[in-house]
Amino acid sequence: MAGVAVPPLVVEHVAKSYDFNGQVVPVIGDLSLTLREGEIISIVGPSGCGKTTLLNTLCGLLAPDSGHIRWHGREVLGQPQNVGYMLQKDLLLPWRTALGNTMLGLQIRGVAPAEAEDKSRAMLDQLGLHGFADHYPSTLSGGMRQRVALARTLVNEPDVLLLDEPFAALDFQSKLLIENDTVGLVRRGQRSLMLITHDIEEAVSLADRVIVLSKRPTRVKAVYDIDLGPERTDMMAVRESPEFSRYVRRIWADLDIVLQ
Amino acid sequence: MTAEIDTAPAREPETAAPGAQPVAKRRWGRLRATIAVLATQLAILAALLAFWEQATSSNRAFAFMFGSPSAIAGFLGQMARDGSLWRDTSITGLETLLGFFVGNLVGTLIGLSLWYSKFVSRVVEPFVIALGSIPIIALAPIIIIWFGTGLVSKVAMSTLSVVIVALVTSYKGAVGVDPDQINLMRTLGASKFQVFRMLVVPASLTDIFAGLKLTVGFALIGAIVGEFMSSSDGLGHAIFKAGSLYVIPKVFAALVATIALALFLTILVGKIERLLMPWRRQI
Repeated sequence: MAGVAVPPLVVEHVAKSYDFNGQVVPVIGDLSLTLREGEIISIVGPSGCGKTTLLNTLCGLLAPDSGHIRWHGREVLGQPQNVGYMLQKDLLLPWRTALGNTMLGLQIRGVAPAEAEDKSRAMLDQLGLHGFADHYPSTLSGGMRQRVALARTLVNEPDVLLLDEPFAALDFQSKLLIENDTVGLVRRGQRSLMLITHDIEEAVSLADRVIVLSKRPTRVKAVYDIDLGPERTDMMAVRESPEFSRYVRRIWADLDIVLQ
Repeated sequence: MTAEIDTAPAREPETAAPGAQPVAKRRWGRLRATIAVLATQLAILAALLAFWEQATSSNRAFAFMFGSPSAIAGFLGQMARDGSLWRDTSITGLETLLGFFVGNLVGTLIGLSLWYSKFVSRVVEPFVIALGSIPIIALAPIIIIWFGTGLVSKVAMSTLSVVIVALVTSYKGAVGVDPDQINLMRTLGASKFQVFRMLVVPASLTDIFAGLKLTVGFALIGAIVGEFMSSSDGLGHAIFKAGSLYVIPKVFAALVATIALALFLTILVGKIERLLMPWRRQI
């Protein structure tokens, strides 16, 4: 195995079903995928295809019925280490300031208060929230709140980020700006990112690979390697290239969405 | 970061800076609205008192049955001079505060800790409902037998009036915490106790304070009912004694003191709430 890097996340033949009023409803049929080191992948699929179930299974909040989830080559019981998790809801604690919310993970792990505060302030500054550290979430706009949530995730220096439609509730401008920042910080920190989204344009503009899921019971329907040139730091410029529209159209066709 | 990102907050001026209207002008507008509300309330109160005074001054039977504002004021003055007003109010206030404190402390501790175990909370639920449905007044004779006619029995009555409500509201707050928020804490590596301490307890504060405001009144009722049953002082005793002697204005005078006490305690809880939940002040 020398010289071959172990990918941070390997999913092998995972299946998960729910017991719904005595009926077994399969949600994830048979799902396999790999997240390589330093890679950004997007997962798109029709609504209700079990994307959130997949994420909760990966985070160890739900146990799969069968199959294997390997983090850095190892199966983990409970929550995996060094994995950051972020949802569409910012889930900020209203009684903590932006700084207090950012420090949450460090405090849980018992990092010394002074160090936790320094790191958190630096992270807020990096995300353009300088001067807002002592504001309560109720006084921040949606975009700023989501930036605080991102700071809370990134300050723990996770190897892998799992994001479930984190920017879906934001307006277009805020979304592009925070996407830019997220990709920049992930690339610079050599982190890996799995983005679950239903926004195909977002999926294509951010990711190295887009994985298209089928309807329930979910399996992988198609995988696209996105090749839009090496420099992809400007989210607006990316969206203007003809290749971009081609990818979006093909994935849209794959999703097989019937207008009624 | 690029310069573009650094200006991100400035792009959202609606939260960063106050609106177009000057602060002083808006503050004056709010103050005026408050004054208008207060003035109307005072006018209604004055009209009621004037009608009451007028109706009872022309008819001796009415004056006997309903008292009159001037007679009530007279009794208040007399009770203040002979010291019974302060003594009775402070005794009832002490009983209420002790019952309020013990009842809420015990109820909230049990209510919050029930969050820890679904099993225990399900076992306990029917007992809580059964205890909560007992009218506390029905327990008064037993309480007097067990705890005597002094302070302890009144505090016990007051505590019992409070404890179930405090338990139910704090439990409701604890189980109402967003499960996504609990999941987030878990993915950050939090233990069950850390989830409890850093999330469940502060998240329940809103419900706990709603319970506190509610139970101020209940604690007072418990104390007064205890005094009704058997006691030698307190506002409940004063009301009971004046009532049995048909001195209606004195009943009302003691009632005014009771209302003042209730108002004072409610305002106190409100102040503590604002002190303990500063994040709600900024909204």
